[in-house]
Amino acid sequence: MSIPLPLRPPLRLFADALDERLPLRVTLVLLLIRPPEDPYVRGGIWLLAAAGLIVPALATRAWLWAGAAVLMLARLAVEFPLADNHLYLLFYWCLAIALALVTPAPGDILARSARWLVAATFTCAVLWKALLAPDFLDGRFFRVTLLTDDRFATAARAVGQLTDAQLTDDREALRPLDGGIEVLDGPVLVEPAPLRALGVGLTWGGALLEALLALAFLAPVRRVPAAVRHALLLVFCAVTYAIAPVGGFGWLLAAIGMAQAGGSPRWRAAYAAACVLILVYAETPAVSWLIGLAAP
Amino acid sequence: MHLALSQFPTAARGAGDPLPSGRLDEDLMPRVAVALPSLILAAVAAIQMVLSLTMGLSPWKGGGFGMFASTDGLPFRDVRVFVSAPARSEEVLIPPSLARAAAAAVTFPRPQALETLARGIADRERRYGRDVETVRVEVSRTVFSPTLEVTRAPLRTLTVHVDPAAPASAAAPVR
Repeated sequence: MSIPLPLRPPLRLFADALDERLPLRVTLVLLLIRPPEDPYVRGGIWLLAAAGLIVPALATRAWLWAGAAVLMLARLAVEFPLADNHLYLLFYWCLAIALALVTPAPGDILARSARWLVAATFTCAVLWKALLAPDFLDGRFFRVTLLTDDRFATAARAVGQLTDAQLTDDREALRPLDGGIEVLDGPVLVEPAPLRALGVGLTWGGALLEALLALAFLAPVRRVPAAVRHALLLVFCAVTYAIAPVGGFGWLLAAIGMAQAGGSPRWRAAYAAACVLILVYAETPAVSWLIGLAAP
Repeated sequence: MHLALSQFPTAARGAGDPLPSGRLDEDLMPRVAVALPSLILAAVAAIQMVLSLTMGLSPWKGGGFGMFASTDGLPFRDVRVFVSAPARSEEVLIPPSLARAAAAAVTFPRPQALETLARGIADRERRYGRDVETVRVEVSRTVFSPTLEVTRAPLRTLTVHVDPAAPASAAAPVR
């Protein structure tokens, strides 16, 4: 096949894979790798997703995606209220693909639908952080999370300059006791200044990035260049999923971002690279190693 | 450049199609395709926010995208079950078979969820030949003050009265 210009030589190896159907294939992989508990729903999803991957022509059939959307809805109903939020987004995305595929311009429609899904998702996230949650903007969420969540322990020690003993004592100090019991001479909470600064940085950095994303995707397309939207979403994927252990959400956002790349294989390549990066975060100790290196 | 029409098979309209081919039909489907998924997202998120603020649904669940926004997540919510009978009054551990019911009660502590858990505990106690007259389920959450002082706040408590003469699962809630 002819190689579309102006892909540079390394990307030519992946030219075939960087086509406009890539977001559909990524979504099919997502449907496979996070199976539901219910055996009937699981079997149905696996059947559809595998069919779409093994027979590429099926991946552009509206009925396949409509079936996937119905099964995802069933999964949400069966697993309510325990289903993670990215499963809701996966349902909306499957529905968006199914609907786009019955229109005369499915690529364009899917890109527009994808933009609104990203806008709505980040608007909800910002609403929660800025208005509804009483303990986010004042830093409490990340102060507590840095001290109590094992996934943040490396950052708490390395960047927050917390010793192992202090971390253990702090976790004990934050353990609730029943019935108003107070421990005599119990552990005292220790929060070094670098730890508090890290908490403040994560709080406002996260809130700002999500607010920028919401604004960039809500704004009319002529006011915000596509490159800005792509860049913000890629930064979000690259930064957030180094910490948040929800790689499936990152992959889903990357697939939705790819659908907005239009005729640009470079942006699809960038989102594909983000998927690889998220996989590295999830499956290797690279993040811990880098944080340890970067610590003063 | 967007996807060429030939790359995607589109819905074919057969002869004698009852729908008039006109601007309304041609414009409506694309608009619906673009708007519907996001509208459903917004509606579900709005419902989740209301349920979270009024009925204790965890901000981390329910499709409102409130994860990583609040300390009110599952690691800081707790469910405890207490069983009473003439010769006993004690807290019981939640067995693995009821872990999902417990998780559902903790995530969204509505009366039905607590009742399901209580009924499951009652049935299990009776299967093991242990007396049970009432089962009390308490769901609470950890609250951190601005200075990170820690307290426990109750979310919902439900007591279920078990009729000893009735078959399993005949437990009436006492609210």
